[in-house]
Amino acid sequence: MSRLKKHAARLVGLLLAAVTLAACGGSHSTSITNEVTIYVSTDRVFSEPILKAYEQKTGVKVQAVYDTEETKSTGLANKLLAEKNNPQADVFWSNEPVRTLALKSRGVLAPYQSANAEGIPATFKDAENYWTGFSARIRVIVYNTNLVKPEQAPKSIYDLADPKWRGQIAIADPRFGSTSFHVAALYAELGDEKADEFFRKLKANGVKIVSGNSVVRDLVVKSEVKMGLTDTDDVNVALEDKQPVAMVLPDRDGMGAALMPNMVSLIASAPHTEAGKKLIDYLLSVEVERELAKSEAVQIPLHSGVEGPKNIPPLNSFKPMTLDYGKAASRVEDVVKRLQPILGL
Amino acid sequence: MMNAAVTRNQHWFDLPSSRAAVLCLAAALFIVICALPAIYMFGVSLINPDGELSFDNYRRLLTERRQYQLLLNSMLLGAGASALATLIGAPLGLLLARSDVRGKNWWRLALVVPIVVPPYVLALAWTWFAGSMKMPTEWAYSLTSATVILGVSFYPLAMLALEAAARRVDAQLEEAALLVAAPRRVAMNITLPLVAPALSATALVIFVLAVAEFGVPGLLRVNVFTTEVFTAFAALYDFGAATALSIPLLLITLLAAIAAAIVTGESRLTSRHSSRAGLPLPLGRWRSLVEAALLFVLFVCVLLPLLTLALEAGSLRLTTAALGDSGRAVMNSIVLSSVGATLAVALAMLPGYMRARMKSRRGGHLIDLFFITLFAVPGTVIGIGLIGLWNRPGMAGMIYTSPLIILVAYLARFAPVAALLLSAGMQQIPVSFEEAAAVAGAGWWRSLTKITLPNLKTSLAAAWTVAFVFAFGEIGATILVAPPGESTLPVRVYTLIANTPSGNVAALALMQTVIALLPLMLLALLMRHWGRTL
Repeated sequence: MSRLKKHAARLVGLLLAAVTLAACGGSHSTSITNEVTIYVSTDRVFSEPILKAYEQKTGVKVQAVYDTEETKSTGLANKLLAEKNNPQADVFWSNEPVRTLALKSRGVLAPYQSANAEGIPATFKDAENYWTGFSARIRVIVYNTNLVKPEQAPKSIYDLADPKWRGQIAIADPRFGSTSFHVAALYAELGDEKADEFFRKLKANGVKIVSGNSVVRDLVVKSEVKMGLTDTDDVNVALEDKQPVAMVLPDRDGMGAALMPNMVSLIASAPHTEAGKKLIDYLLSVEVERELAKSEAVQIPLHSGVEGPKNIPPLNSFKPMTLDYGKAASRVEDVVKRLQPILGL
Repeated sequence: MMNAAVTRNQHWFDLPSSRAAVLCLAAALFIVICALPAIYMFGVSLINPDGELSFDNYRRLLTERRQYQLLLNSMLLGAGASALATLIGAPLGLLLARSDVRGKNWWRLALVVPIVVPPYVLALAWTWFAGSMKMPTEWAYSLTSATVILGVSFYPLAMLALEAAARRVDAQLEEAALLVAAPRRVAMNITLPLVAPALSATALVIFVLAVAEFGVPGLLRVNVFTTEVFTAFAALYDFGAATALSIPLLLITLLAAIAAAIVTGESRLTSRHSSRAGLPLPLGRWRSLVEAALLFVLFVCVLLPLLTLALEAGSLRLTTAALGDSGRAVMNSIVLSSVGATLAVALAMLPGYMRARMKSRRGGHLIDLFFITLFAVPGTVIGIGLIGLWNRPGMAGMIYTSPLIILVAYLARFAPVAALLLSAGMQQIPVSFEEAAAVAGAGWWRSLTKITLPNLKTSLAAAWTVAFVFAFGEIGATILVAPPGESTLPVRVYTLIANTPSGNVAALALMQTVIALLPLMLLALLMRHWGRTL
């Protein structure tokens, strides 16, 4: 008995000591002013090196919280909302417009106009400066080159409703992430009736709805479906892996492809507002856009004159959808509710 | 009734007031940490965007037809997974406790593996396997396959619980019965009723785990309440609606708990104090066949998914960033989950003791329901509730901005289940032990620490292990409350798997499984060591 107790007591003591150490190590900071807290929904593999480079360059400690894929956790937007009365973050770096706009409408963000935003076209900036877009991804059609010849590949997203591809198409759950932005953009572009019609046809064509864009890509890679809708960076992962896939930037002759910029915003009543602004300046720099284009994130620079990613056509070679990002993203919640019965979600 | 209890207490214990004070304090602490986040969120759900009291979130629950389908799916998922887990786990537990199967320790260790594999990973492996076998997608992505995966995930709980219970049964009772009855009747009328409480309690815990699980139905696209709660958070940012949607989940849990209590009935349990375990179950010429069956279960439930993961991981290059640099996260996870499990057991001990020593049967049942309902609150709801409660200037804020908040989250989620397990264990220790101690002049604290706790070793170890395993895999609340900087391994895995090839995901999942197994093996060794020295 006494041995059991001794063992147990020793174990508990040790563990408590360890956690105290870990707690101190984690929260201790040498100088409050010399750090900045950023919540990041852009994939950690891509964003972490960018933030590490900033630390190296400036000596400012970057405290980052990374997000998961939209369908795996409720994520940072909810954390930011819940923390609204006592904000912990200074900057929010989102990989798509929907969450940024949701946070703007709920009063979580503060306006900030960065000098580095000057070279970025006005479409990708908020008129009220609550967010600034940079490095964009595109919503594309991915297809398996073993199953579909390039000349047969669909040119428009309308082609996905063609009965000849029946049961051979996958999309990610349109309630979340970049797909939610895409469907909201389509509703904004086409109007409710035409958009409803398109999704009804898609459903009738046996579209497979899966949990994420990476799953869409994996199903195409594994020949379980012939094609699907996903993001450029997801396709690039498969291209780098030498998988038999190719992408189509849809609707070159019609409405154009949906372009999704990253968005960066300052948090209202942030603990380190000035440090936050400096980090935003850095993220909007040509240097970061170049890095994000060069890395496997293959993101398209929005500053003109920056070299684009190798597997993706340059910005001036395809037709981007003309979008009012604020208006499109503000439709998401309403579109989600509309689509639930249509797609049987 | 209450008065009688109090006056009797005064006879039993020398310092009734100190006992009452300590227990009240413990109960208050338990409620603040475990129940307050859920209560806070319930409050949020009753307030509309204009800040007025409103029942809109709940009106929806009753009026939308969609809700009935969700209710049906959630119940089928929970009941099916619980039944399957018990069907697989209970016979295994019995074999491990009583039979002469060779290499029992190895079987136990191998067969317990699914509990440390996050169910989500098991589901991933299953979809890859189904894909490679060219199974129709409708098969892989269905309520049935979600049920089977959860059943396979959780059977080790039924196995371990039944083994423990079967070992605790007093051999003398069975021997005495054998004098007058056939072995089958002894098994049905003596052994089964004695292990039934443990079995039904575990079935209930599995039911709750299955209805509260988000990862598997999310991946397999089965609409249940957890996925609906998720949608309310992730797509609509509606905290009130999300909380309201978790109420049916709690109601299902309550119903299941009541059903379990009725099925079990009020069996009077005795603790084992004979030196012999229950009657042996010699398999004779059936032994090889039984061992083959064990091998089959091992193959289907453990080897096949792990093999699928390994093949998937091996077929693609690995991101060094994913597998390397995980040292800090691994350390954090091991330290936080061990401390979390220890604190959860400590926090649960006195509330569990209170429940076990409750005089009123109805009161005892109510507290059980309270524990199990708390355990069923979705992690995300707890996470948002914790932010609302702890993210404020002052002491609370200091905890919120440090890794201590992760410990608070572990406590909030898993102390209730620890309390449930501990109170079940304490109910098996006769009150007469404590009475005897009191007669001999020991105070209640002394009798608790010197008599009750030493008799509770197995329950303590079980509660600690369960809390540890759950904490090690916790993601729903952790990801919301974790402060900036490297946090736990599951959070690292989840933040890294976005956009990486499935091979990396498989490699990370394998790594998490292996690392979760290590502390368990250590614990098993430690227990054997203790077993020898005691």
